[in-house]
Amino acid sequence: MVKKIFISYCSWIDRLVRFIGKSVSVLMPLLAIVIAYEVGSRYLFNQPTIWAQDLALFFFAYLVGLGGAYAYQKKTHINVDILYLAVSPKTKRIFDVLTGILAAFFMFVLMMIAYEKFGEALQFNYRKMSNWAPHTHHFWMMLVISGALITLQISSNMVKDIYYVIAGQALISEPEEEDTEDGN
Amino acid sequence: MGIELLSGVLLLCILVSFALGAPVGFALGGIAMAVGYATWGEGIFNILPNTFEATLFSFILLAIPLYIYMGQLLTRSGIGDAMFNASQLVIGKVRGSLAISVIGVCSMIGAMVGIIGAGIMTSGSIALKPMLDRGYDKRLALGVIMAGGGLGILIPPSVPMIMFAASTQNSVGKMFIAALFPALLAIIVMVAYILISCKMNPDRAPLGTGAEAKMTPKEKARTLRDGFMSVLLIFAVLGSIISGIATPTESGAIGVVGAIILAFFFKRFRLGMFRMAGMETAMLVSVAMWIILGATLFSNFHLLMGVQDMIAGFTKDLGLPPLGVIILMQLVMLGLGFIIDEFIIVLMCAPLFTPIVVDLGFDPIWFGILMILNIEIAVQTPPYGFALFYLKGIAPPDVTMLDIYKSVTPFILLKLMVLVICMLNPDLVMWLPNKVMG
Amino acid sequence: AEHNWRFANLYSRGTAFGEVYGNMAENIEKMSGGRISVKMMYAGEGVSTTGILGAVKSGLITMGAHFQPMNAGELPAGIVEVGLPGGTADVAKLSVLFHEDGWNEVLTRAYGEQGLVYLDPYIQPPVYLLTKKPINSVADFEGLKLRAPGAYGKFVRNLGASPVSMTWSEIYTGLATGVIDGSIGSNLIDHRDGNHVEVAKYMYRLPLAGAQVLPVVVNQKAWNKLPDDLKAIVKAATTIHAREQMTKSRLWEAEAIADMEAKGMKWSPEPSEADKAAWKKAGESLWDEYAKADKFSAELIEILKKQQ
Ligand code: NA
Ligand code: NA
Repeated sequence: MVKKIFISYCSWIDRLVRFIGKSVSVLMPLLAIVIAYEVGSRYLFNQPTIWAQDLALFFFAYLVGLGGAYAYQKKTHINVDILYLAVSPKTKRIFDVLTGILAAFFMFVLMMIAYEKFGEALQFNYRKMSNWAPHTHHFWMMLVISGALITLQISSNMVKDIYYVIAGQALISEPEEEDTEDGN
Repeated sequence: MGIELLSGVLLLCILVSFALGAPVGFALGGIAMAVGYATWGEGIFNILPNTFEATLFSFILLAIPLYIYMGQLLTRSGIGDAMFNASQLVIGKVRGSLAISVIGVCSMIGAMVGIIGAGIMTSGSIALKPMLDRGYDKRLALGVIMAGGGLGILIPPSVPMIMFAASTQNSVGKMFIAALFPALLAIIVMVAYILISCKMNPDRAPLGTGAEAKMTPKEKARTLRDGFMSVLLIFAVLGSIISGIATPTESGAIGVVGAIILAFFFKRFRLGMFRMAGMETAMLVSVAMWIILGATLFSNFHLLMGVQDMIAGFTKDLGLPPLGVIILMQLVMLGLGFIIDEFIIVLMCAPLFTPIVVDLGFDPIWFGILMILNIEIAVQTPPYGFALFYLKGIAPPDVTMLDIYKSVTPFILLKLMVLVICMLNPDLVMWLPNKVMG
Repeated sequence: AEHNWRFANLYSRGTAFGEVYGNMAENIEKMSGGRISVKMMYAGEGVSTTGILGAVKSGLITMGAHFQPMNAGELPAGIVEVGLPGGTADVAKLSVLFHEDGWNEVLTRAYGEQGLVYLDPYIQPPVYLLTKKPINSVADFEGLKLRAPGAYGKFVRNLGASPVSMTWSEIYTGLATGVIDGSIGSNLIDHRDGNHVEVAKYMYRLPLAGAQVLPVVVNQKAWNKLPDDLKAIVKAATTIHAREQMTKSRLWEAEAIADMEAKGMKWSPEPSEADKAAWKKAGESLWDEYAKADKFSAELIEILKKQQ
C-alpha cells in the first residue's frame, strides 16, 4: 500500500518533469530563429529589431531554468564521480540523499527569493532596460517554477533512494522509458 | 571569520561535496547559500537575483546554445562525419591524422567563438564521436577536444582579450595580433605531440578500417564533395563575422541555419533528427548553465566576503626579481582558476597586476597574452575547472571524471610549455604586433 | 566598526574612476573616526554592474554608485535624472535644477519608494557618438546602424539612424567588421578604454546630453541605523566626492581625448546651426514620451520645462 503511494508519487513527478523538460526544448530552434531574423533584418533590410535580443535571452533563460529538473532526472548534471563510482550501490544512494538535501536547500532559497522578486517586479512594474522594455515579472515566476520542479525531482529521487536503502531493492523497476529515436 | 579561514572552509565543502558525487552547479550554489547563511545571515540570499539575472541575460553566453546547436545538427545529420571522412581520404595514412584534423576544425571553431564554453562544447559535439567511432584512445580523443576547444579564447575574436584590453587601456587589435603566434605555437606543439605519441603507442590511433581504400572513385568523389561542403559552412560562418554581417555571438545562429540547409542538401533532414538535436542541445545548455549559475553564486559570495583583498594585498613589496613577480602572478591566476571563471579572473587580475608589470618594464600586451594562456590552463586543471565540466557534459556517459582528468594532463603540460616559452621570449609574442601596428 | 558597509561601483580595481570611489569610502571611514567601515567592491566583485541598484535595495550592498540607464526598467526616473538627450551642459543650471527647483526632492521620493536613500548627485562628462565615417551633416545619420541603448536609441532613431542593441564586449568587433557603423559610449573615457578609435575614427562634436548626473544611493534600513552625526558625515563625504568627480573627470576627459587623438581619432566637421537645431529637436521630442513613462519622470520633466 505505502509502496504504491510512493510509486505513484514518483512516477507522477517523473512524468511531469519529463513533459516540461521535453517541451522547453522547442525553445532551442526558436532561439536560433530569433537571432537569425535579427541578423537578416539588420543586414539585408537595415532594420534592426528592438526585441530580438531580449526575446532570445528570455528563451535562453526559460530553456535553462525549466530544463534543469529534467536534466536532474536523467542524471546528466555533471558530478565528480571518482569516489562515487567506487562505492556500493547502497552507499551511492546515501550519497545521493545527502547531496540532494544540499541541492534542495539551494532550490528552496531560489524559490523564496525569486518569489519575492516576482512581487517586487509586479509592484514597481519592472521591465528590461531596452527600448522594447518587456516585463520581467514572468522571469522570476519562471525561476520559482524551475526551483519547484527541481525540488520535486529531488524528492522523487530521494523517495526512491531511501526505499532502496531500506528495502534493498528498487522502488520502480528499471529501465524507464527511453528515447531511442534519433532519425538516422 | 577571517577571509583566509572562510576560504579554507569553502574549499573543504567543495572537496567533500565533490567526493560525494554532488551535481557541481547545485553543490556550489548550495554551499554558497549555506555557508553564507552561517556567516552572514539571511541577507546573503539577496545575492541570488542579481546573479541569476546577470548570468541568464548575458548575450555573450548565447554563443553556448547557438554553437552547440550547430554542432549537434551537424553531427546528427552526419555532416560532421563527412568532414572527417574526407580528411581521412586525404591524410588517412598518417597515424593520428584524425586527431590532427580535429585540431584543425577546433582552430576554425576558435576563430568563430570568443568564450571557452562555446569552444569546447562545439568542438566536442562535432569531433568527439568521429574519433571514438574510429577506435581512438578515449583519453587522446578527450584531450584533443579540450586542448583544441580552449583555442576559442586564444584565437581572435576573444572576449577575455577584449576585457583585458579594456581594463588596462591597451589596444584590442594589437592583442588579437599578438595572440596569433602563441596560438600557432600551441597548434604546432599539439600536432607534434599527437604525431609522436601515436607513433610511440600505435594503439591510441588506429589507422582506419580500410573503408577508404575500398571506395570506388565515385564514392571517393562524393565523400570529398560532402567534406568540402561542410568545411564551406565553417567558412561561411567565419565569413559572416569578418564581413560584418553578424557578431561572433550571432554567427552561431547563421551556423544553425546553414547546418539545416546542408542537412536538406545532403537529404539527411529528418524531423526526428531535428527534434533530438534540439532536445540534446537543450539538455547540454541547461547543464552547462546550472554549473555557471552555481559557480557564479559561489564566487560572488566569496568576492563579497573579500577574497580579492587577499590577492590585492600580497603583490606589494615582495622583493622578488622581475621575472619572479611574473611567475608568482601566473601561479596566483592558476590558483584562482580553481574557483573563479575566466571573465572574473581577467576583471580582477588585469587591473591589479598590469600596472606592476609595466613598472617592472614589461610590455602589457605580452602580459595580457600570458594571462590568456594562463586562464586557458586554469580552467582545465583538475580537480575544479569549467572546461573539465563542459567536456564531461559533452562526452558519452561511460566517460568518467577520472578519464577526463587523465586525458587533459599531457595537454596541460604542453600548454604550460607554450606559456613558459612565451614568458621567457617576449619577442616571440610582440614581434608581429609591433611590426603591424608599431 | 559600529557599522560595516559595502560600497559597489561600476569601475575596475586600479582604474582612475575606481580610485575616486575608493577615496570616498576612505573619507567616510576617516571622517567617522572608524565608526563606519566601508569595504569597496569594484567591477565584477560580487555584483554585476546592472545589479548594483537591486543589491542596494535588498541590502546585500549598503551603498552603491550605479549608472541609471542600466536600470531604466526598474527606476525610469533615473533616465531623466542622468540627462535626456538635449539636456543642458551648464553646471550652474544643473545645480539650480537639482538643489533649488526641486529635482532632489522628487528623486528622493522616487528612490525612497524603492527603499533607497538618495544622496547628493555628482556630475560626469557627457555621452558622445563615435562613427566609422565622418558625419558632415545631420543627414548623414540616415540609415546608419548605431549601437545606442535605451533613450539614446530613440534619439538616434529620430535622426534617421537605426539603433542596434549590442553588448559592450562586442562593440569593438562590431565596429571592426562593420556590423555597426558607430556607437555611443557612456563618456569619452569609455570610448578610449574600449579602444574603439582603432576601428572607428570619427567623433561627433555634439554630445547627446550636456552632462550626466549620477547619484550615490544607500540602503534605507542601513541608513536609519546611523545616528544623526554619522548621517551628516556620510553626506559630507558625498559632497567631497562630488567635487572630486567634477575636477578629475574633466581632467580625464581631456586626457582621453589626447590619447585618442594620438591614436588617430578625428572630429567630424563642426555642425551647422541647422544641424544643431535638428539635434536639439531630436532630443526634446523625447521629453514628452519619457514624461508619460512614469509619475516621477513626469514631475521631473515638468520642472525642467519650467526652467527653460
Ligand atoms: Na576565438
Ligand atoms: Na582549475
